[in-house]
Amino acid sequence: MRDASLTVARGEFVCVVGPSGHGKSTLLNLIAGFIEPSNGEIFVNGKPVEGPGPDRGVVFQRDTLFLWRRVAANISFGLEARGVPKQERKATVERYLKTVGLEDFAGAWPRQLSGGMRRRVAIAAVFANEPDVFLMDEPFVGLDYLRRAQLHKVLLDLWAEGGHRAVFMITHDVDEALALGDRILVVKEGQIVEDVEVALPRPRSTYMITGEEASIIRRSVVLHFGDLEIA
Amino acid sequence: MRSQNHGNGSNTRSSERGSSRNDAQDGGSAATRRVRRIHPLAVLSFLAIIAAWQASSVILGETVGYKRVPGIEDVVRSFIEYAGYWQGGLGAESTRTGAEPTNWGATLGLGHNTLVTMLRTIAGYTIGVVTGIGLGFLIAWSKTARGLLTFPAHLARMMPLLAMIPLFALWFGDSQFGVLTFIAFAVGILLFAITINAIGNVPLHYWQYARSLGASPLRTYARVVFPAAFPQLRGGLLLAVAFSWSAALAAEFLGQQVGLGHVLQSALYYASTDVVALTGLVVIVFAAATYLAANKTLAWLTRWAE
Repeated sequence: MRDASLTVARGEFVCVVGPSGHGKSTLLNLIAGFIEPSNGEIFVNGKPVEGPGPDRGVVFQRDTLFLWRRVAANISFGLEARGVPKQERKATVERYLKTVGLEDFAGAWPRQLSGGMRRRVAIAAVFANEPDVFLMDEPFVGLDYLRRAQLHKVLLDLWAEGGHRAVFMITHDVDEALALGDRILVVKEGQIVEDVEVALPRPRSTYMITGEEASIIRRSVVLHFGDLEIA
Repeated sequence: MRSQNHGNGSNTRSSERGSSRNDAQDGGSAATRRVRRIHPLAVLSFLAIIAAWQASSVILGETVGYKRVPGIEDVVRSFIEYAGYWQGGLGAESTRTGAEPTNWGATLGLGHNTLVTMLRTIAGYTIGVVTGIGLGFLIAWSKTARGLLTFPAHLARMMPLLAMIPLFALWFGDSQFGVLTFIAFAVGILLFAITINAIGNVPLHYWQYARSLGASPLRTYARVVFPAAFPQLRGGLLLAVAFSWSAALAAEFLGQQVGLGHVLQSALYYASTDVVALTGLVVIVFAAATYLAANKTLAWLTRWAE
């Protein structure tokens, strides 16, 4: 990344798109504190980022569920780590399990869940920890259209439940960015080349994200990938 | 409605998996029993070994007072020799006092020596597992430990185990401590190497994820890195069971007054190949039993693994 300057407001849902290998994940890893910038600074709530911390929850593209912990224990991992009392932990886990529709699977091992259910647990585990910023690196990659749409709804429910904290989500899918984001950033060759507002009202429908206003945004985003000859 | 659909789908999936796991554990279903039925060729090979054994015994015959290969009837008959390894008590007098050997005395002699070897094996195995895995984790955790211990630990790993026996004998003599240290050494160096490798294979994103949830480095290590590496230790832990039996017999061979290794040493002195064979069979039975017990325990401990 170079010459990247970016401010994300509290409660803003920012989606980042761009070609593979152009710096999207690097930007997320910098904010998460997994890597250090060679130049420049990153602040969260006015505090400089110095390594990973619970103020920035990360949902990874890869499956990060702890296979040796049951579903409820996976969701409570961050709460335990932060010393949240047992009763409060239990109530939080139950609430988030209900929000993601997995209240009947609290005692299941991750290997007993389908891919979509595992994604829901992973997202719930991060949201239950109540970070200030949610960093998500292509969390729905590999899921079919319908399952993705269901998970978008789950994600937005969790976002609402968490008091609309800031979300910074990498995606390859412009439609996903249109369905979820308040803003879409385009990262290309290590730079933020586009920063466009998605002024569509919520809740959004398939009709809205395929409408005229969305098409204008889609075009301004997609053209950064180049005017490709499709056939 | 949405979640119900998901729930149903995965209920089916989990119940399917659950039932196959239970079947595997209890051997309850007809299908599992079919899978576990002994293959006819296995029976054939077993009978072939017995036949070859008996044939060798007959062909090689007796050489200057002892049989190179004892016949099966010799091995069965040699059971009574175990009465000589009972120090007396529980209704059976020691043959050293001039008493006649009895089957009860032989049973006690066999039981006592087997129990002693088994307890030494289990104790040495436990010490070796804790030390080897602990050292592996310590080296992976601390840069200082890595700098200090990596070279000597790898040096110890390179040392041929059998060549170390005289050294252990010189250091510890015929003490109980020496036997346990030798078994622990054999098990520990094996698990040390496997642990280092297993930790290296734990995906980095597990560490990053745990840290971003607020876990301290120590908590991440104990609650995430250790369990994530554990399934990879399973093979090593099982291999070490066989290792620990061999190490126990080898260590007992050197001057111990009780234990199956002592029985072997004594039988070898008197050229009692029948007692050697019987002791070997006893070791096979108990080593297999501890292996199966360890396998069951480890299967339960890693029941969550995919």
